[in-house]
Amino acid sequence: MDYDPMVMDAEAMGPSVKITEAGAQHVDFELQNVDLAFANSLRRVVLAEVPTMAVDLVEVEANTSVLADEFIAHRLGLIPLNSKNVDDVSYSRDCDNCDNYCDQCSVTLTLHARCTGDEIMKVYARDLVVDQGRPNQWVGNPVITDVDGLGTIICKLRKDQELRMKCIAKKGIAKEHAKWAPVAAVGFEYDPHNKLKHTDLWYETDAEKEWPKSKYAEWEEPPQEGEPFDYDAAPDRFYFELETVGNLDPDAVVQQGIKVLQQKLAAVIQDLTEGEGGANGDAYGGAPRSPDVGMNGGNWQDQGYTTPFGSGNASAWGGGATTPFGATPYGQNGSGWS
Amino acid sequence: MSSKKKTQEPDADVSMGDVPAADTEVAVADVNDPAMLAFEEQRIRILPGSLATAASFEFQKEDHTLGNALRPEVEFCGYSIPHPSEEVMNIRIQTYEGTTAVEALEKGFNDLMDLCDVVAEKFVAAREENVSRMES
Repeated sequence: MDYDPMVMDAEAMGPSVKITEAGAQHVDFELQNVDLAFANSLRRVVLAEVPTMAVDLVEVEANTSVLADEFIAHRLGLIPLNSKNVDDVSYSRDCDNCDNYCDQCSVTLTLHARCTGDEIMKVYARDLVVDQGRPNQWVGNPVITDVDGLGTIICKLRKDQELRMKCIAKKGIAKEHAKWAPVAAVGFEYDPHNKLKHTDLWYETDAEKEWPKSKYAEWEEPPQEGEPFDYDAAPDRFYFELETVGNLDPDAVVQQGIKVLQQKLAAVIQDLTEGEGGANGDAYGGAPRSPDVGMNGGNWQDQGYTTPFGSGNASAWGGGATTPFGATPYGQNGSGWS
Repeated sequence: MSSKKKTQEPDADVSMGDVPAADTEVAVADVNDPAMLAFEEQRIRILPGSLATAASFEFQKEDHTLGNALRPEVEFCGYSIPHPSEEVMNIRIQTYEGTTAVEALEKGFNDLMDLCDVVAEKFVAAREENVSRMES
């Protein structure tokens, strides 16, 4: 990594961040002097691993609308819910206080709508009533940003049709389901003049003329006429553009993203260092010790993230399900680590 | 399972209904045991055939986010995800004499952690600056 100030020349003093534009739902920033892999890790983590709130369980008491229960349940899941200070909410699956859901791991929203007039009635996110008793005052509020204060539309009702349901919102990550994504879009670009030739532009006669320049092109020196290709050049300026769905502030999304990345690292580092304490070499005939399973009893439930999908997967592994991978020449895959 | 039950209560005729109930209780207790949790979370192992200066590591439940970002200063480092539908990532590290692959891996992670700290710090500073610029 090239971020040690000691080996840097005076001009490049480690990573730097410049915010070029920011609003209620978006932030554009330039990240400098990190490598491409780090920029991509940040993007990946923001896209899929920053926790938010979303409706996860729907108890339908009455639904006489034209839409099927599961259709409406799906729509409810996709409604952005305020996730400010979502750290106050615990994951429902490892909540110590309950078997199903409770005040500490969920927010309950009730929806009760009935059309009594002759006009078609629209049911909006604002019609969701957030119940008392939740981890903090923000979490679970439907995100409403339109001028009329209506929010997302859920359903339309004709005369005498009724919706009565209880929605349980839980904390989760987009790796498990996209409804938990904090961002509508996140991406970055680099090397607007394509000096590194990472992009092979299609063209009819002249790529230079046919392709519009990125708005970041004026931020960097255009290539000189007849400039030789620099084989050692590596990208170091990344132009991020991030747009949230409104459940978290854009700056909070970035900060949470970095935090999640650090939690991942912390978990791995702990695993690595704790494992060194115990001897476990014999299983592989004198090979270097692998991290020992009988760790020092470290209490670290709060690292990283696991999805039900992930843990289901893991148990299948540990349970000795024979995957093609498990039957490698190395053998004893499942039992080797568990 | 039934034979185990019989050794405990040789004379009792155990109905089928009782056995699963006892089983479930045991499983729940195990989940809440910190030792069991730690046990479950052991996600890294060294693959067989590794030497001190040339080792392969297997990471459960990790992906490109970690694998690609890790850049230790070594003779060789590479990672692969053997199959897209298995949450497994392998890292290969070969070091020069004087350091071991495990040390290099650990240093790589620690450096990445410090990098995150710096970027977080710089981002917060840039945010503050942006806020004050908007207000003025």
